[in-house]
Amino acid sequence: MRTHKSSISKYLLFFAALILLIMFLMGYKNPENNVGFSKAPTTHTVTIFRMKFNPANLTVKKGDTVVWINKDFVPHDVTEELSHKWTSKPFNKGEKWSKVINEDIEYFCNLHKVMKGTITLAK
Amino acid sequence: MNTKIKITLIMTCVLLLSIPNMMWGQETPKLNDSEIASVAVVANQIDIDYAKMAIKRSKNKEVIDFANRMMEDHNAVIQQAVALVTKLGVTPKDNEVSQSLLKQSKETLKKLKKTKKQDFDKTYIDNEVAYHKAVIDAVNGLLIPQAKNAELKNLLEAVVPALEAHLGHAKMARSKISK
Repeated sequence: MRTHKSSISKYLLFFAALILLIMFLMGYKNPENNVGFSKAPTTHTVTIFRMKFNPANLTVKKGDTVVWINKDFVPHDVTEELSHKWTSKPFNKGEKWSKVINEDIEYFCNLHKVMKGTITLAK
Repeated sequence: MNTKIKITLIMTCVLLLSIPNMMWGQETPKLNDSEIASVAVVANQIDIDYAKMAIKRSKNKEVIDFANRMMEDHNAVIQQAVALVTKLGVTPKDNEVSQSLLKQSKETLKKLKKTKKQDFDKTYIDNEVAYHKAVIDAVNGLLIPQAKNAELKNLLEAVVPALEAHLGHAKMARSKISK
């Protein structure tokens, strides 16, 4: 009985180690989308094109940087939506603006108020 | 709102909403790329003229901000169109659709000018909602299908999301000023 329990424990331990290894390798290979494992801050890109933020909803780690790139021929901005506590100010085609993310954010374009996006910190 | 204003507003909306029908009508106008470029420039210039009127007459921040946005964005579209026709060596050519749009815009501008101060914001924003709906229909149903040059077609397709964003913005402004 004891031997049987011991081999189950060993099996579970091996399985857990395998999962950790896989997660580590996935995080190492794809730092752009890594939101849970690596401690090093990474940079994410949001493209503004045809009056949309793409991706409109992004999950990042605390301390990661998000870069917004304007690919439209009209100016846009990135503004905190609820109280307008920060804004990028307008930037034109080909220009970019970045922000280090330390909290969940709901934002919009204050020039084209129907354009909206969110950034969520990974749990 | 008095009866005269109501009638004016209804007539304006009916006129604007009828633009696509007038274009499609029994005889759909056949436009070449030079004529399509002209329609694009004229349609954008018309909204800039409405915006100038709003900036002059309105005291409402929401309305003035919206009008400034229309001026800047529609100017940007005109710049894109001018740059493209210059690159293609095409001269925008006046045509029946451009003339029809201009004729109707003159009537609308007259009405906007005559509208009483207290009714101006709502009249302007209602017109913006109707005008953007009509232009979106015209671009999707007439200009894009008839454009031959791929770059012109691409520019028209890129303009539609901007017009749709303006329409959404105009509806938001309308709900705020009517509170």
